[in-house]
Amino acid sequence: MGTAAADEDGLSARAYAQGLLDELGVTPLRPLACTEEDPALAWARSGLMALTGRADGPPVLCPVAIPTCADGALAALASLAPDGALAGLRGAALLVERAAIAGYTRHGAIAPGGGCRLLPTRDGWLALNLARTDDWSLLPAWLETEVATDWESLAAAVRTRTLHDAIERGRLLGLAVAPVVPPWRRPQPWFQRMVPGGTGRKPRGRRPRVVDLSSLWAGPLATHLLQHCGAEVIKVESLTRPDGARGGPPAFFDLLNAGKHSVALDFGSARDRARLRTLLEHADIVIEASRPRALRQLGIDAEALVRERPHLSWISLTGYGRSEPAAQWIAYGDDAATAAGLVWLMQQTTGEPLFVGDAIADPLSGMHAALAAWAGWCAGGAGLLSIALVDVVRRVVRFAAPPSAAGWRERAQRWRGRIAGEPVRAPQARRPTAAARPLGADTAHVFDARGCTC
Amino acid sequence: MPMPLKAGARLKSAVSETQVMVVKAPPGEHDLRCGGVEMIAATAPPPAGVALDPAYAGETLIGKRYVNADESLELLCTKGGQGVLSFNGTLLEIKQAKQLPSSD
Repeated sequence: MGTAAADEDGLSARAYAQGLLDELGVTPLRPLACTEEDPALAWARSGLMALTGRADGPPVLCPVAIPTCADGALAALASLAPDGALAGLRGAALLVERAAIAGYTRHGAIAPGGGCRLLPTRDGWLALNLARTDDWSLLPAWLETEVATDWESLAAAVRTRTLHDAIERGRLLGLAVAPVVPPWRRPQPWFQRMVPGGTGRKPRGRRPRVVDLSSLWAGPLATHLLQHCGAEVIKVESLTRPDGARGGPPAFFDLLNAGKHSVALDFGSARDRARLRTLLEHADIVIEASRPRALRQLGIDAEALVRERPHLSWISLTGYGRSEPAAQWIAYGDDAATAAGLVWLMQQTTGEPLFVGDAIADPLSGMHAALAAWAGWCAGGAGLLSIALVDVVRRVVRFAAPPSAAGWRERAQRWRGRIAGEPVRAPQARRPTAAARPLGADTAHVFDARGCTC
Repeated sequence: MPMPLKAGARLKSAVSETQVMVVKAPPGEHDLRCGGVEMIAATAPPPAGVALDPAYAGETLIGKRYVNADESLELLCTKGGQGVLSFNGTLLEIKQAKQLPSSD
């Protein structure tokens, strides 16, 4: 490690960080402080490489500077945050914490978490994520045939379909499916400002209030990082459908959610929907990760709320954005990364389709979302920003990208040479500082403090 | 006219924008309606001279799954629109949303 960027492709955390800040139109409060590391060595040392490759083969790298970009995203956030707020944290380290805690390992075309697999169709590969057990009940409708509930029978049925048909029908059914495709050549912004915002006034000297409606990893990581920057976070969950991560390893849930107030609401009740609206009206930052129609069906109109409250920074995390028809498609971290081109790059550089890391789009999106939210707060309101998981990964892939498949292969070969003999580190995680609050433990307190009778 | 329903079949309302996909269905022929009028294949031309029955007014919501009492029939609404869904003369109800996964 050193402070000088030495990579011949121009891949430095500083360059990535500066690019993000420029795209957001913000000026750092203090000079960017980046830990620069050779991007290939960063793959071996971050724990990401240990999570990539076949279970019965060696760890392999993807020639995308993912750890470097993660370091850059976090450095960009630190340059806007109070001095020392993110001291000791590195973006690259945040990519593998879930796998470290859950004990996930690499399984090639099966994602480390086990729910997502790469399957061949008649004319191409797809990623299918059956994260919810109930998703299996949709498979006969998806494939128009009876399917036994095991992956082997499912794979045999998928092989008879065309890629286009499988993706189109899967999206209609609300399955997390994505085609294995090359990265886009044309630049796609990693966020879209759907509603402009901003009061022009700098924030008053108080902590921003964050309402977090998200679950699992990307959104909770974003608000966890905002907590580091000094924000007060209220985590809002449905009483009947709480954050599924509560059912995962407690250490991971605690790591991301310790120190947040927990509010649980019954979205079926008019009183609690009114309470949700009250919370949103008092927020400086909202982080949510539902499909746009889900909140609309609860009577929450994000666009209208932001127009009425220009100081608000509303971050909408989705798989593929808020525009129709993509607003209806669901995604998780492994399939969104596939749609952005990572699995295709593995095919090009190793000869076989392999996942990259553990749900890699999630932690990357969480860091980018935290940056966008905090930059919005600093600027007096961001408006409504749509951040699609697929676009965040595309941004990372595009960073100093080679112009051709041959270029990617050449870089992969060069990087492999550079790390030959280097130890490949296992994923590591921080320890949670405290236990997360039990579901709804702060509901009464939060509404008392708001002084409302709702 | 009652018709067989097959998992994966796509149907549309004859009187509104509503579209559904059959997730599962009991064997045999059935009478499936939206807005009180029989649904048709998604690719069929809309019939003339039919209108939404006010007794079946209301809205079918995109993304919701609709079931009968014993859940032997399940439809997913793939395009929202006017008219409520009925199956062999009984209104369908919204199925409880899926539990979130513990990891992805």
